[in-house]
Amino acid sequence: MSAEIERKHADVLVVGAGIAGLQASLDLADQGYSVILVERMPSIGGVMISLSKVFPTLDCASCITTPRMASAAHHPNIDLFTLTEVQSIVPEGNGFAASLVKQPRFVEEDKCIGCRRCEAACSVYVPDEYDYGLGVRKAISIPFTNAIPQYPVLDEETCMLCGACAKACPTQCINFLQEPRRVEITVQAVIMATGFELTPLGAKAEYGGGKYANVLSPLQMERLLAPHGPYGSVLRPSDGKVPDSIAYVQCAGSRDLSLGVPYCSRVCCMYAIKQAMLLSGSLPVADITIYYMDIRAFGKGYEQFYQNAKAMGINFVKAKVARIREDDNHNLFLRIERQEAGTGPEEVQHDLVVLSLGMVPAWRPTPDGIIPLQADTDGFLRLPKTLLRPSWTSMEGVYAAGTATGPKDIVDAIADGGAAAMAAANYVERSRRQAHELAGAAR
Amino acid sequence: MQSEDDLKILIITTLISSYPGANTVGQARLQYSPGTYVIRVPDPVMFPEDFYIESLQKGIDGIIVMSSGSDCPYEGAYARLSSRIGRVYTRMKEIGISPSRLKLTTVCTVCKGAFLKEISAMQQAILADQPKSVAEGASR
Amino acid sequence: MSEPESVPAPDQPRVGVYVCHCGGNISDVVDTTAVADALAHHPDVAIARDYVFMCSDPGQNLIVDDIKAGKVDRVVVAACSPALHELTFRKALERAGLNPYLYEHVNIREQVSWVHKGDHERATRKAIRLTAAGVEKVSQQEPLESIAVNVVHHVAIIGGGVAGMSAAIALAGRGIGTTLIEASDRLGGRVAELPSVYPTGESGSEIVRELRDEVMAATLIEVRLKSRVTAMDGHVGKFRLRVEDTDGRAAEVSAGVIILATGHDHYAPVEGEMAYRASQSVVTLPEFLALLDQNGANAGSLVVNGRKIGSIAFIHCVGSRQIEGIHAPQPDGKINDYCSSVCCASTLHAIREVQGRWPDVAIYDLHKDIRAYGRAHEEMYLEASRGGALFFRFPDEEPPSVENANGRTTVKTKDILTWGEELDIPADLVVLATGMMPRDISEIIAMRKLPVGADRFLQEVHPKLRPVETAVNGVLLAGTCQGPMDIGEACTAAQTSAVKAAILLSKPIIELDPFVARVVEDLCDGCEQCIAECEYEGALTMADVERDGQTVRRARVNPALCAGCGACAAACPPRAINVAGWSLNQFEAMVDAIVAENVEALARAERRGRSFAPLAVGISGGPTR
Repeated sequence: MSAEIERKHADVLVVGAGIAGLQASLDLADQGYSVILVERMPSIGGVMISLSKVFPTLDCASCITTPRMASAAHHPNIDLFTLTEVQSIVPEGNGFAASLVKQPRFVEEDKCIGCRRCEAACSVYVPDEYDYGLGVRKAISIPFTNAIPQYPVLDEETCMLCGACAKACPTQCINFLQEPRRVEITVQAVIMATGFELTPLGAKAEYGGGKYANVLSPLQMERLLAPHGPYGSVLRPSDGKVPDSIAYVQCAGSRDLSLGVPYCSRVCCMYAIKQAMLLSGSLPVADITIYYMDIRAFGKGYEQFYQNAKAMGINFVKAKVARIREDDNHNLFLRIERQEAGTGPEEVQHDLVVLSLGMVPAWRPTPDGIIPLQADTDGFLRLPKTLLRPSWTSMEGVYAAGTATGPKDIVDAIADGGAAAMAAANYVERSRRQAHELAGAAR
Repeated sequence: MQSEDDLKILIITTLISSYPGANTVGQARLQYSPGTYVIRVPDPVMFPEDFYIESLQKGIDGIIVMSSGSDCPYEGAYARLSSRIGRVYTRMKEIGISPSRLKLTTVCTVCKGAFLKEISAMQQAILADQPKSVAEGASR
Repeated sequence: MSEPESVPAPDQPRVGVYVCHCGGNISDVVDTTAVADALAHHPDVAIARDYVFMCSDPGQNLIVDDIKAGKVDRVVVAACSPALHELTFRKALERAGLNPYLYEHVNIREQVSWVHKGDHERATRKAIRLTAAGVEKVSQQEPLESIAVNVVHHVAIIGGGVAGMSAAIALAGRGIGTTLIEASDRLGGRVAELPSVYPTGESGSEIVRELRDEVMAATLIEVRLKSRVTAMDGHVGKFRLRVEDTDGRAAEVSAGVIILATGHDHYAPVEGEMAYRASQSVVTLPEFLALLDQNGANAGSLVVNGRKIGSIAFIHCVGSRQIEGIHAPQPDGKINDYCSSVCCASTLHAIREVQGRWPDVAIYDLHKDIRAYGRAHEEMYLEASRGGALFFRFPDEEPPSVENANGRTTVKTKDILTWGEELDIPADLVVLATGMMPRDISEIIAMRKLPVGADRFLQEVHPKLRPVETAVNGVLLAGTCQGPMDIGEACTAAQTSAVKAAILLSKPIIELDPFVARVVEDLCDGCEQCIAECEYEGALTMADVERDGQTVRRARVNPALCAGCGACAAACPPRAINVAGWSLNQFEAMVDAIVAENVEALARAERRGRSFAPLAVGISGGPTR
């Protein structure tokens, strides 16, 4: 750890720079409040930036996310910290004090020009997290095409210290000796936008996720569908074959007590329908089947989207999938029980299967953790006034947005970001008024 | 006879969509012909029909309009643009310019493949139409 | 650095051209010195330099120093993508005291050196042409200033339900005053009707009371009950609303922002739909909730219209998820093809309520899908099921029917879950889970030409990214006027619209992008062709102007309403209208530079008049064809 400690003050600390955190930061900064935005990953943009297209508009996700990422990164009122972890947030005075640790990139950001020569020079290939392991990247690399900021990160674990990157760099910005750096900040209010992760691909062993190459997570499928995806088109990971028949298993990580995820993850129906539509566009002859319990197309324009998918010929089969097995050619066999026809269990073959995994919180508060917030039994942050104050957490001055407070789609996360920004702005204003009154009383 | 690289293809891109798309192609270091000139506009709907015709008459060999399509942030602009391009085609036919030298398409911020495909398709279209322009050049 | 052949004449633009090597990223492929040399010959170019890193401090200082020394009055940098450094260099211009828009950024990295690696010569020629095009563009560039609109620091909120009240409270907390305009004689809207709301079980009147108390306590909120908006004009920053109350008193409200929170209507089944009104045993869900309220907490049995109820059938999707050809169209000829999103959870909540108070009542639930999507909704579904409710699923295309004979009510349905069995379910009471309908606010819609979606709810500007803004800048949406929402969702939307309002009102003036249409009145001949092209209500109008003692009609732009798409520019025969910073003359000059055989040819061309004939002519129109 570097001995040097950086100290900063801002009106609001926003934890997490996914779409909810970005929106909350922008909605505060555009009002004139100063924001410290902290992201643990090397780029902002969260999960949304890795998606292919979004439902129900089928807008390209990158196209609509990057402008918002850029506005946040360039905003004069937003101080952005990437690759930075929050160590603690504690009440102090009428605000909060927080400790951050900025992890080293091993690249000096003020010198880097984003030319990627280091990346070209590097000879170490590692699986690309951004492509959810389907593609490869170099040990030093810019995380993905439209990452913001456009600086590479050197992966300490896999780097062989050969020095090729440093030689290739025209600005001598590679610094193998960078150390973590502590940043101590004080703020008036906090917004937690810590996001979600998917339930593990292998959580339901009977589905073979993580074991069978052609059983994919929905985010892997997003990457296959993205125009800048790892293969450039939708192919089976096992053999690079164009799949003729693709199945979606709904509720593969939700509404399932055995997984500890009894709730509905709310987005899986819609992302499965969206992916099915995109697949039928890129693989016009492929059969696409969605095995489901209920189709929950509840949002604005969603039902119409679902009906369009049905009209396009996507098969919706109300059935439970009991298990999946694989043959020697990595073809997949799903044992299903149709609920619409009493034909008993049967086995159907598909080339590729996507498990519609559910959402769980990416960060869960613990009593001795970074901030003593309360969580509900579902693991998401508890909202004591869920109807009228949907961004209030169990601590005054701390608000929450996006999937930190439950499964949510993009538009709801964006609306949430705005609401949390408003709540935080109200709190900052109240603190200012109180400080003003105190000063008046003391006089 | 012109070769691919002697061509001058004007690529009209949008600030929100296809211009960043062209940058994505560059970031991936994908290679294409230098006979391509990308200009950026808020929306191609601002160009009158004459702009296309006159550009082609001045020496541009082909024009690709890479619109934002459904991502277009302006009300009704895409519908207006596509009907205008339709009228440009009519005029091109009237004055003897092959309609294949103008293409309206949609390119997003990460549509690398589509960007390259449109360029090579336009090159082929121009080269296929060359006897005409060469004859025209000779008569001048 | 390359010395120019001739210094531009005093009235000519003096462009500084700066070509970046990007530490080899550009200069390994493009001969950056050759680019600077070629551009030095351009008549408008005063200085052309190349440098290893233009974005570095010394690089930026080259520009700043040249400007401060009076050598250049506009700037072209040929470097990486403008996404990375256009802003950097605009700021450098500002630091040097130059209007930041007298700047053009030419991309010779992502769009030249990185994509034409193998062909240095052609890549260099392309870079020269593109840079020359940049010089042409910036030479004709006018200094631009952002458009300042004075702001009325006040928000008008139309609709006093939970969404409207929620927005008003949030804005008051932020120090912004509001006028809350409510048509009825009390605040609270639809939520006040609900005896108990999911998932918390709070009563609607408690929720409304909490908000109403806050509204009444806030000095910054002015409430106008029994009032309607009868006229509305203006634009973001300064709208004027005429508000009339039922006693005929009228007032004018000035507001910088308008929030629409006009709410929804319940779907009303048409006469005979599911035997509604034909039988006293068929009620809608809102009616049923009111009945529950009338049956006291300690009532031993559920009594409706004097009859003890032993069984209830709930039918979902009445008036929602309608299918063309199967459901009768609404009076306007449309069907409600949308999902009303709240009815499933609301029905489950009502079932639990019945189960809790009258466990002996048999409950049947007939649905297409159970959309228990929200937090804690799935638990309600499980509890209802555990409490003994029987769930049946009917096919989308074959909704149940309700028959009423000899005082007995029977629901006939096909059940998918028992493989298509036809069932006759006798029920003492049938509850129709009716959805939401857009409220008729056509008068308000007409006042500002507000966008309405195919579902007839008000439409946001982008359903994903900008969920509460409308295409009319400064008019925002909150709650169910936009589409079905539950209370939490409506409050979230309200607070989001409040934040957008607060952003617009955060400064005494709103600074709008300068890239809007501008009319050169001397060129405008009043033909009005541009007007038909404009999609933005009020952005482009015809105004009377005095010209040589005569009154003539000229196009006029309201910059606060113009979006800057340029549709008008394409339609203007005399080119009197252009988007500032993106004029057609600029683009034509850029094309001229691109087709020029070489930059020297361009340099020889007359600057004004642009009469030179390009040497490389691929095709040409004309009668000889």
